[in-house]
Amino acid sequence: MGGIGKTMLAVDVRNLRKEFKVQKSREGLLGAFKDLFRREYQRIVAVDNITLQIPQGEICGYIGENGAGKSTTIKMLSGILVPTSGEIRVGGYIPYKEREKFVRNIGVVFGQRSQLWWDIAVIESFRLLRKIYRVPEPDFRKRMDELVERLRLQELLHRPVRKLSLGQRMRCELAAALLHNPSIVFLDEPTIGLDVMVKAEIRQFLQDINRQYGTTIMLTTHDLQDIEALCSRVVILDEGKIIYDGSLERLKQEWGKGKEILFRFSAPCPVAVLKETTAGIDVHWQAEHDWEAKATLAPTETDVSGLIAAVASRAQIADIQVLETNTDEIVREIYQSGAEAAVAMEETVEATVRV
Amino acid sequence: MYYASIIVDYLKTYMKTRMTYRADFWIEVVSDLAYQVMNLFFVLVVFQHTNLLAGWTREEIIFIYGYFMIPYGIFSCFFDLWDFADRYVIKGEMDRVLTRPVHNLVQLVLENADPPALFGSLTGFLIMVYAGWQLGLEPRWYDWLVLLVLVIGSAMIYGGIYIALTSVAFYSDSKTGIVPMMYNIQNYGRYPVDIYNKTIRFLLTWVIPFAFVGVYPAAYFLDKEITRIFALLTPLVGAIVLMLGVLIWNIGVKRYRGAGS
Repeated sequence: MGGIGKTMLAVDVRNLRKEFKVQKSREGLLGAFKDLFRREYQRIVAVDNITLQIPQGEICGYIGENGAGKSTTIKMLSGILVPTSGEIRVGGYIPYKEREKFVRNIGVVFGQRSQLWWDIAVIESFRLLRKIYRVPEPDFRKRMDELVERLRLQELLHRPVRKLSLGQRMRCELAAALLHNPSIVFLDEPTIGLDVMVKAEIRQFLQDINRQYGTTIMLTTHDLQDIEALCSRVVILDEGKIIYDGSLERLKQEWGKGKEILFRFSAPCPVAVLKETTAGIDVHWQAEHDWEAKATLAPTETDVSGLIAAVASRAQIADIQVLETNTDEIVREIYQSGAEAAVAMEETVEATVRV
Repeated sequence: MYYASIIVDYLKTYMKTRMTYRADFWIEVVSDLAYQVMNLFFVLVVFQHTNLLAGWTREEIIFIYGYFMIPYGIFSCFFDLWDFADRYVIKGEMDRVLTRPVHNLVQLVLENADPPALFGSLTGFLIMVYAGWQLGLEPRWYDWLVLLVLVIGSAMIYGGIYIALTSVAFYSDSKTGIVPMMYNIQNYGRYPVDIYNKTIRFLLTWVIPFAFVGVYPAAYFLDKEITRIFALLTPLVGAIVLMLGVLIWNIGVKRYRGAGS
């Protein structure tokens, strides 16, 4: 647990950058021939000077489109890749420098790749991992019992990994990554391809682990329900740059269009009346005819019950429907306006710094 | 200590993996043995037709060949990472290896270990004993120890060269033709070097020291004065080559780029 107590930051990254050199292939046979003698390389910036601090015990969601640089970041944080430049400290270590010591304190799950030995029974993999991570036998047994119960592994322990379904395998992967009770866990798309039930189970499990042991969790995902269920904090990456870093709530407030409330009336009620009665509330009315009206609350307006009460005092309401812009829509919009958002973000950051 | 117990556990896992495919396991054991027996006869038959080669007798050449098979078996067991570029670099399995608290090279060696290859070493040893008996050699008690030290040295040379070659995968995306070429060059080490011209002899001694996996150390037991000093250099050359190999490897790992997303 070296150095953690002192810093209190599980992840401390400053101006982290990763560039890849990719060979440009010229077209046609002549191009290929030219490539033999002189190659042209293209520099691709996968991670573009990001700065990120994650305190201990936080669950941080890391999202972005494919190719935004999420996995590259995770790989630098877990010591697999060496950064091009920038400072990086995870759990008090510089990951790529003291790799063997560092990784004893972290757990890693890559959704697309297995950590387990394909041909042997799950329990054998666990036993080998116990040896590799030097977990004392009594600790191992206690930990095993707990994981088996929480992830319902009892049935699976004596089956070879290759005979497990994806959901079963994923539960085993999680157990394998947490056997040595790491203080930081990196999950790269842990719920990819899983059904709703298994997803829910895994979310619950991660939450429990986080509460009970204060495990810091950083996960990348394309499923925003993972984020909504788990993360107190969201980091959005686009083209290697962080374009949002903050709570999910704030994200909704800043980017969401506010709540929409759809009223249906049992007697006609003109929109002018509605506007008049809700004059004190920051709301925008829209109506096609007198039987139905849509109220759009400003993102800062929270007085939903006030609005409904005001409407109810003047009209006969047959039905109410509250619509909220969901996170998917918000994130899609952010991706689409990625570059502008980055600028806006920088401005807000500067503003907060000045404050 | 830690590494010793890890090695044992990996090998146990290997055995379990093998034994899950029972039929496969026995077929492999039998075919390995059969292959080695064939190898033995092949060597003996082929050398029936050669007599004297640049001052070396047939038995001496068989003896060298036998010696060569011992480090070669050890090499095939541990350092033969022929699909490394494809499996670990291009498909990205190296990710997993790098997130575990054991030196990555040790993990790779253990994950790919092929203990049946050691049958080859046994065959080589038997060939050596046979040729030695034909030559009327009378081994002193410490010769067995010297043999052990020389074999370790030779295996280290093999290991070092192949580790360095395997790490080329970190520097270049494409598969290279270097490894197959080396397979050819290593063959030269199993015959007396003085049958080659000076350039090749120099190359095999000082550049790609494959002469130290066959002819030089074997000649120690044959009391060939010219090469005796070279024979005793084997462990030293082995240590240097292995260290260089691991150094190149460690630099290479820093350039690892992972696969895909």
